[in-house]
Amino acid sequence: MVKQKVAIVATGQTKHRSRRRDVNISEMIYEAVKMALDEAQLTPKDIDAVVIGNMDHFEGINFSEMWTGIESAPGYLKPVVKVATGGTTGTSLAAYGYYAVASGMYDKVLVVGWEKINEGGATTGIVTAFDARWERPALAGALGPLALMASMYMWEFGVTPEQAAKVTVKNRRNAANNPFAHLQQPNMTVEEVMNSPVISWPLRLHDCCPQSEGACAIVYAGEGVARKISDNLAWVKGVDTGHYYTYGGDDVMHKYPAAKIASTRLYKKVGIRNPLKDLDVAEVYEPSSWAELMWTEALGFCEYGQGGKLLDEGVTEMGGELPVNPSGGVIATNPIGATALIRVAEAAIQVRGLGGKRQVPDVELALAHGFGGSVWADLMILGKEP
Amino acid sequence: MDKEVAIVGVAQTKYEEEKADLPYSELVFEVVKKLHDELGITKDDVGSIITSSNDFNDGRTIASMAIQDALGAVGKSESRVSGDGAFAYVYGVMRILEGTYDTVMVVSHCKCSESNIYLVNNSIFEPYYQRWLGLDQVSSAGLMANMYSHKYGITQEQAAKVAVKNRKNALNNPYAHLQKAVTVDEVLNSKMMAYPLKELDLPPLSDGAVAMLLTNKEKAKKYTDTPVWFKGHGNCTDAYYLGHRNMTDLIGLELAAREAYKMAGIKNPMKEIDVAEIYEAFTYHELMNYEALGLCKKGEGGKLIDSGQTEMNGTLPVNPSGGVLSSNPSMANGLVRVAEIALQLMGKAEKRQVKDAKIGLATGMNGICSQGNCVIILEA
Amino acid sequence: MSEKKEEPFTINWLTDLPYRYALGPVASKFFRVLKESGKLLAIKCRKCGKVLFPPRSVCADCLVEMTVDDMVELSGEGSLDGFTVVNYPFVDPNTGETRPFPYGYGAIKLKGTDTWMLHFVDETDPGKIKPGMLVKAVIKPKNERKGTLEDIPYFRAVEKK
Repeated sequence: MVKQKVAIVATGQTKHRSRRRDVNISEMIYEAVKMALDEAQLTPKDIDAVVIGNMDHFEGINFSEMWTGIESAPGYLKPVVKVATGGTTGTSLAAYGYYAVASGMYDKVLVVGWEKINEGGATTGIVTAFDARWERPALAGALGPLALMASMYMWEFGVTPEQAAKVTVKNRRNAANNPFAHLQQPNMTVEEVMNSPVISWPLRLHDCCPQSEGACAIVYAGEGVARKISDNLAWVKGVDTGHYYTYGGDDVMHKYPAAKIASTRLYKKVGIRNPLKDLDVAEVYEPSSWAELMWTEALGFCEYGQGGKLLDEGVTEMGGELPVNPSGGVIATNPIGATALIRVAEAAIQVRGLGGKRQVPDVELALAHGFGGSVWADLMILGKEP
Repeated sequence: MDKEVAIVGVAQTKYEEEKADLPYSELVFEVVKKLHDELGITKDDVGSIITSSNDFNDGRTIASMAIQDALGAVGKSESRVSGDGAFAYVYGVMRILEGTYDTVMVVSHCKCSESNIYLVNNSIFEPYYQRWLGLDQVSSAGLMANMYSHKYGITQEQAAKVAVKNRKNALNNPYAHLQKAVTVDEVLNSKMMAYPLKELDLPPLSDGAVAMLLTNKEKAKKYTDTPVWFKGHGNCTDAYYLGHRNMTDLIGLELAAREAYKMAGIKNPMKEIDVAEIYEAFTYHELMNYEALGLCKKGEGGKLIDSGQTEMNGTLPVNPSGGVLSSNPSMANGLVRVAEIALQLMGKAEKRQVKDAKIGLATGMNGICSQGNCVIILEA
Repeated sequence: MSEKKEEPFTINWLTDLPYRYALGPVASKFFRVLKESGKLLAIKCRKCGKVLFPPRSVCADCLVEMTVDDMVELSGEGSLDGFTVVNYPFVDPNTGETRPFPYGYGAIKLKGTDTWMLHFVDETDPGKIKPGMLVKAVIKPKNERKGTLEDIPYFRAVEKK
């Protein structure tokens, strides 16, 4: 049994931007760290351990946590560990933070995800995630495979580009309610998406996520300590870091089997029988508009092929039965090492009722999801009750 | 946390200069298969998997992606610590203690032959102030060795004795990369690399992988009569800039050891620990480790090696496997240390067995010259 | 006297990291056969019977080792089940230069295999693509082959006669 239940007591984020030329890497990360520590009213000394991550190759700094963990986070003379798993980095970091506290090893753990993406070559880095013999020659970063998935999805189920465009409209408008979001576009329309240039057919510019620079920090604490820090907590109900084949082409990519397997497993563990009814809000990692439609299917919000219909009916809009990405999601903000962690932070914000203009009413259970690697799915479920 | 997480089996590859015909995913498969076969399990018996690897060393962003198939991780909950394997072991322990999983497999790999190690390690230095200097592990180690020996009057001969001891021990380890003894003279006459460190004061570059299976208390007896229990651990990170660090005393390691000893209830390490596998990145480093781990007083690391107490027939044998000076699969080193202690406490260390080993110590290291330190105490 | 606002400094850094990746025996055979006879090989798992491309040494489902003896020849034909036209610049880590674009990229289910190969497709007009259409691997002439995946520059639609 868990040694102690775990809650998120505070979160912090930077205002995510395309380029933060006003700060260097350490300064940028510190903004998010300070925000989280200030919210929890903790000093650096109070933190027991730091787990921090980004994608080394994007900024070209090896063992980056040895530097950032000390300079931007309270890691000096403390445990500092890095977890880095591509797009799922943020949720893998969150998982580590959870296990570090749930195991009883530590009481207060600071989890930090960051990326100063435009200081290096992200797409080049992403190409190197794949096999040098077989995949790198043709692979075009993340967008190439995402576009392939969109075309396979479209061809199998007849989902249309207009249906996908509605995801962008929903999320970029949602982002306008989120002070941290990168692309805040309250007036985005399906027409604007459909008129944007084709980047990788069928993905148009506005079907794709941006490359943002930013950081996110979360403080996890064990039950006793958490209750002393705050009476407004988001409890971790369960976590899963679902992985799959090395080669993306080994299975039907657009059906996102890793998410199906991991979500089935996690829902069972947490006692969720009908995710659409039992979950109150979901923050999913949608690197393209089409992806969000596919993810709602794999995560069990609807049957395969019905993702487009789900959004057409407004189920995942703000005010719908299961709002997806009130924060604006990844299509509005994408500092890769932080992106998945932002999903967890935003889910926590929803559970704790701190979402301001983006708050979904009466949130009891929230799902945070991370995507990356060879189509992996990380999941964390947060709740109002322990 | 006493006797709650057990190591029930370990598997290692033979460490070699270049496993030229095998991508690192094959090395991982080799140890995973060996481990499964030895324990009579399939991948379905493994609840979760934790790996350790490093993108720069592997030349691949998300380096763990390449080994998913080989791990049997398809459809499973797998995660990865970017760095030394000892830290992955600790994450594995945390996953067992949390309660969801009965079994967790921990795997670490590295092929030093595939990258340019000097460029990889130079990249650890941030590009604002330090990278221009062209520092890497070896030159930083030279600085540290120089300052340490100057402060405490450690001689080159005393440092050389570490190489002599470890290289001799490696002859008993069928997995070790370098299997040839060396003399003090040979060490002193080897090529000067970064004063005062000569070639034989430094480790080789090796390819290899290591895997182990962790279980909770209940499952342990299903797999073995000789489980090796997690007893304590400490993790401490020193300052990043070499100029901020105490270059003559490994403060980070000292604090990590203190934490580990406290958790394990150890008051006198020299007496209570039966065998130690420490990550000695260079000869002088082992002497500095002795002091930081409290095996002797500050500045007396040289005296301790002279006394012979850390030899195979001494009070506390250090590095019966031959240590990093004999096999250096970089990122995997810390997990190799844990695996070797596990073998010792299981009584399965064959020719390198320390008699009646009941409590063992293993260390892991991240970053340059003991910046990140992990100290692990295990018990039979 | 007005104070000139300080411009933030930036520094430029170019990292050149060379690597030598081991191919492994299965991949080595694939590239040797491709170079010598222009044929494509996949690999079949003895336990579950799945035929996998690209050929690799471990069947992920069975965790069983496969060897060069398990490799099977393919016709090089397959169905184009996914398609895109990459239309954005990025630096190719293999060459250090920007990869030329636009280029067609597809998910091809090679006949006789259970997996999809993601590779170049010789078409940049999505209007000309029919889902599931038959495509075939184009192989370079022998004197131009180097024993890398570039020996298969792309897949091309098979004209119906």
